[in-house]
Parts: sequence; C-alpha cells; structure tokens
Amino acid sequence: MNGYEEGIALQAASIYAAQMNPCIRETFCGLAALIVPNTAALPQLGGEQAIGAVELHVQQYIIWELDHSLALMSGLSLTVFPLAAPTAQMLNSAAMQLVARGWETCPPNPALWAISPFAALVPCDRMRVLALLEQLQFDLELLPPPYQHDGGYVKFVVDYLNRAVMFGNYSEWPAYGPTRLDTPVCRRLYGFPIGWRQAGYPGIADGYRAFLGFVLYIERDQGGYQIV
Amino acid sequence: MYDADVIVIGSGGGGAVAAKELAEKGLKVLVLEAGPFYGNKKWPQPNSERGGEWSSSYHDLDVNIYKRIYNRYENNMNDVVSGVFRFGPADRRRSPWHRIQRQRGEIWQLSGVGGTTQHYWSQSPRAFPSAIDGVWPISYAELVPYYEKVEATLPVNFSPTTPKEELFYYGVKKAGWKLNPTLDVVTPGYRPNPNAILPPNENLMNPGYSMEQLNEMEGCNLQGHCMNGCTAGPSVDRIAKRGTLVSYVPLALKTGNVSIRPNSFTIKILTERGPAGALHAVGVRFRDTWTGEIGELTAQTIVMAAGCVESPRLWINSGLPDNGWVGRGLTNHCFDWVGGVFDERDLLNTIGFPAVYPYIGHTSGARVDIPGTGIFQVSCLSPGLMSYLTYGFSEAGYAAFSHPEPDAPWDLRGRVIGPQLKALMENYSRTMTYLLLTDDETRYINRVEVDPLLKDENGPIPVVHYTPSAKTLQRRDRLARYACESLQAAGARTIIRSDTPFAFQLHLESTMRMGYVVDTNCEAYDVKRLFIADNSVHFNGIGGPNPTLTTQALATRTADKIAEIYFS
Repeated sequence: MNGYEEGIALQAASIYAAQMNPCIRETFCGLAALIVPNTAALPQLGGEQAIGAVELHVQQYIIWELDHSLALMSGLSLTVFPLAAPTAQMLNSAAMQLVARGWETCPPNPALWAISPFAALVPCDRMRVLALLEQLQFDLELLPPPYQHDGGYVKFVVDYLNRAVMFGNYSEWPAYGPTRLDTPVCRRLYGFPIGWRQAGYPGIADGYRAFLGFVLYIERDQGGYQIV
Repeated sequence: MYDADVIVIGSGGGGAVAAKELAEKGLKVLVLEAGPFYGNKKWPQPNSERGGEWSSSYHDLDVNIYKRIYNRYENNMNDVVSGVFRFGPADRRRSPWHRIQRQRGEIWQLSGVGGTTQHYWSQSPRAFPSAIDGVWPISYAELVPYYEKVEATLPVNFSPTTPKEELFYYGVKKAGWKLNPTLDVVTPGYRPNPNAILPPNENLMNPGYSMEQLNEMEGCNLQGHCMNGCTAGPSVDRIAKRGTLVSYVPLALKTGNVSIRPNSFTIKILTERGPAGALHAVGVRFRDTWTGEIGELTAQTIVMAAGCVESPRLWINSGLPDNGWVGRGLTNHCFDWVGGVFDERDLLNTIGFPAVYPYIGHTSGARVDIPGTGIFQVSCLSPGLMSYLTYGFSEAGYAAFSHPEPDAPWDLRGRVIGPQLKALMENYSRTMTYLLLTDDETRYINRVEVDPLLKDENGPIPVVHYTPSAKTLQRRDRLARYACESLQAAGARTIIRSDTPFAFQLHLESTMRMGYVVDTNCEAYDVKRLFIADNSVHFNGIGGPNPTLTTQALATRTADKIAEIYFS
C-alpha cells in the first residue's frame, strides 16, 4: 500500500469511528470495562497491568467485528447486516428489565442511564445482565431483531461478547493503532501489543532453542516403521 | 467429452489427499476450492486482488508469498470475522460465510487451499480400534495400510519434548498413567502426540546458526505457531507443519495431472439419469468468489470434500435425494478445556524451568489416551487465543455465579472476568492448558441442515445443531476429572475448568456416514460416481482421537476404489 492509499485507509477508519453513536460506544465500553477493567486502584494489578480494555479501544474491536460478521442475500444483492446497534440495544433492554424488576444490587449511574442503561450499571450488575440474558430470564419480546424471540442466538452472542473482548485485548489488535478499524490487509503495527506485555508473551519468534529430546520416535525404512 | 477424469470439491484435509492419490495413478484431476491459495505466484496479493484462475504447476509455489501472508500474529491470522484463516471469501474486506448456530459455540473451519489444516495443530493419531471394529462397516485392519501410507507421506512422528511437555509428563506419571509406546491404542496411557510436523532442525541447539537462518532451513524450530501460521522451512513443500497446503498439494501439483482453482465456490452437483434410471454425477457448477461468474465443469467422477458442514449443504442445495441421513449424526468430540496455573518456585523444583513456556514447541505435544472415554492433550496457545478459550468461553456461565463443587479437582468452573481474569492472565507464561476430546456418542438429532429462508451468494446457508448425549457428558466429566487431577499432581496452584460450549466445533465428523449415505467405498448410495472424502464419511467420532489422519487414510483408500471401479 502506498502513502496515498494509506491516507485514504486512515481516513475511512476515522470516519467509521466517528459514526459510532454514543449509545453504541458507551454500551461496548461498559462491556469491555467489565471483562478487562482498569485496575489502577488495585495495588497488585497496578503499573502496566492496570491498563484495561477501554484504554486499548477494545470496544471498537467488538463494534467492528459485529458490524462485519453477517452478510446475507437481501433482494437482489448480498447485504451486510451490522449487528453492533441491535446488540447494544439488546444489552440496554436487558439492563432496563433488570432495574425494572429491582434485581440490581446498586443504583445505576444517572449520568450514563440516558445514554446506555447497560453501561450505567455497576460491574457486578452488568455481569448479572449477561448471565440472566444467556439464561433467557428476560422478556425476549423486548429485544430487537435478530435477537427477538431467538434465545439460541442470544446465548451464542452473549458468550461471544465475553471471548471477543478477551481476544481483542490479549491479541495484537490494539497495537494496530490508527489503522485498527481499517480493512485487515491495510492494518499496520504500531509498537508491541500491551496485552502481550501484560501476559508476558515475548511476541512472535522464528524459533526457540528448547529441544529437550524425544520420549518416542518413529524410524522408517523401506515401507516399514519402528517405534524407538 | 469431459473436462477431467475427476473433479475434487475442496482442497483441505481430505480433498488434497484424494487429488494427489488420483493424479499419481495418471488420472486428470481438477480441484475447486472456495477460498484463497496462499503461497502461489498466481496470487501475489491473495486477499485483495483477484489474481489468476488456475494453478497447475509445482513451480507456481512461492515461499516468500507464503511467509508474507502467514505472519503469525494471532488476531491477523485467526480472527473468525476477518482473519487470514476464516471460512470466507479471499477478499478480506468482505464478511465471512455465515453458518447459523443457535447455541453457544463457534465453528473453526477454514476456506482456502489446505482448508482447516492451515491452522490445525497437526495431531495425527489413528482411531481407537475399539471405536471401529464391530462398529464401522469396515475393520480397523482395513485402515492400517492406509494409515501407514499417510503417516509416511506427511510424515508423522512423535512430538519432541519442550518444557510444557516435560511438565505434562511429570503430572501424568505422578497421577498414575503409564507410557503407551504405540500408534494403535487399545489401553489407557500417555504418549507424545503423533504429529504431522517435521522433526526439529538438527542444528536447532547449535548457537552457530541464528534463528533467522534456522527459519529458512528444514525442520521444526519450536516456534509455537502451529495455529498462527508455521513459517519454518526453505520452501512451501518443506514447511515444518504439514497441513495439506504444504504436503499433499505440492505432491499433487508435482504429478502434472492436477489443476487447482481457488476462489471457486461449488454451488451444485450436476447429475444425469442413466439408462436404468439411476442417478450419477457428471459435473459441478461453481461461482467465482471475486467476479460472481458461474462456471460449469464436467468429469467422469466427482469427489466431494467440502467438509462436514458444506458437503451436506451442497448435497441438499443440489436437490439430491435425501434418504433421511444426509447431514445427520454429527459428532464433535464435545470438547472441554482446562488450565493449571503454577508457581515459579514449584516449576523450578519439578522441571527445572521457571515457566511453562506455553508459546514454545508444538501447540499440542503430548496426550493421555483413554479408549472408551477420550483424550486429554497439553495444548498451549498465544495469549489472545488462550485467554478466551480458558476464561471466556463456557457452557457454565460465570465462575462467580457457579455452585461450589467441594469434591471437584478444579477451583474455578466457567468464565472468569474482571480483576481476577487480569491476575490469572498475568500468569500466562506459568499456565499449562489442556484440550479434552470426548468419545462422542452419535445421535440422529445432531445435524447440519439448510435454513429455509436465509441465503448467501452461494445458496441457502447451513444451520448446525449439536446437543451431546447424557453418556457423552458423563465421559466428558470423567475426562475433566482425570485431566485436572494430573494438573494437581503436577503442582498447579489454581485449576480452571472452562466447561467449553458443547458446540465449539473443531472436529466435526459423521454427517454423511459410511453405511448410511455412502457405501464402504465412500461412494454415495443414491448418486453413482459421487464419492465423499472428508470427515463427514466417518461412521462415528472414532472414539475421540483427532480425525484428520483417518480422513486422509480413507481418502487414500477412496482414490484406490475410484481407480478400481471406474478407471481400471
């Protein structure tokens, strides 16, 4: 990719990021912060370990993935169905149902409630929302399509949301920096991934001098073999 | 009159083997592959430009293109939505091809030349004889010569030991398992994995060679990227990890009798009725994934090797007769995944190293086989993949909400999130993880079908249903106990059982079963001259061992049968 193309790619990525509406953004920030929180307040997880998924923009990873995962024929053409908006709506509907039933353990944050009821809940109530959603304890009529009355799909996506935050956070994705929302072949690495540093992973390597011998070995000759 | 003697649909674990074996008999073979061809001069930018149409020459292979694409970064390589390895079109701007799963889970299947063997971990064990003899319509002895041929061709050998295998052996020996020095497993025991990976480079421990040099030489260099794209080797056909892209595909091209057309999604099997009214296959219709153009090709015989989901989908979308078993009887080894976190001091005392080094060596290097129950195998991945498989993926919900199990050999069951996740991930390099493979009971209700309404550009899309039987779940629980007890014996301080979603589908098998949809030659009962050469023809889940070698042995045998029946 030449500089001109890279410029276009970066522009496209920033337009995409700008189009994320505040409700969707806050909802997935609430999810990312629940799964991999900032832990600056915890002495044993301070320093570099304190950095959480929101600082690494993992909420944008989830939004990008959901918006690019489903393409089906609609009328004459193949159509991409962005799923970030309905998925955020599902989390917010479930959060409102939790509060309406009085099942929350702490009052939600009033400043965030109007933007994202899910993000307005304290972490343990957000976890409760996800757990009750996958147990199909909420009124599925109140969820948006494609989740409305489709409990199997709700279970699939709630489980997905958990693992996707982890994969986004602990893989190299955050290190794609300003190209992270670009089409994958145009992404470039900017530095060493923080999630890899937090995990103590040395990064990709050509090899390791770690051969400690064989317990068993197959020797072959003229069509036969022997285990030694 | 025909475009070829044989058309093979799919170039993965089975299709590439069938193509090579048929071509070595002198037959003219065309291979259609839905995904990209990585490491081929005809497609220098396989994910962003259309490139050529066909490759017919071994000399088209290009290791520099291969290594540029296989860059080993876990998100770039294995993201299921947009990764180099995904089930989708070559053009990574586009969405993947969707399969409907209305339950927790994921389907790890790849399009592209080499298919799912591009990221498989190369485990190549034979079936448990007890799962074949008296159960399958053919005997284990019938498979053995074909196993031997595939093992010699790939080639297969036992995994070398690195620190994580050393720790595994320490734990399983303390837990009472005995060494089982065999390829034919009839009793329980441990052994290194029989893997399709070249033995370590003989100069690996020689500091006179730099790692960069070693990476351009033949032999495994323990780089730990079995799943993220192995790059050890001087040429495409000498890459250490022997997915079919680097093993059977180069051998097929070397015959001069094979042409491969990637970016070509087969959407219909074409048939005719013979004079006696019997249906037989005469060709295929395919769609170019870059241009949308539709092509047709004819051959005397068709081999379907599209995988356990796409083979039944293609059958159904072609309007072929359904005897009630098409897509039925899906097995999946009902996986589980456990992990043990170790203290540095304990590790120094037991194995003499301060860490497990989960990123070094074969992704999976050793196992305990328990015929009648399943297998647990040490399996360690890069941190993004490891974090989600260990802590983010569960049938059981959140560990924080799960019921206490005071007698269980695990401390946590289910997803772990928040500060506790971060504290565990800080210990990634001192964590050893195992994949558990259950001897999965075959059930008619487990199935692949097509959605009555939803379509993609290739036709009605597949719906995959999988619910394990009570017996399968008992075996899985037993395996989880054995596995976690061995982690305890090895000295793990914290043990996690993820309780992986039942529908985490890696080892899909038996959706077009021998004896139900195909005969013992793997030819379809209801459509003559149509053979199947993928995991779908397995009668069952072969007792739990990883299925690829058995598919490859059967594909070799099927090539013999095709030549015998139609070309002798």
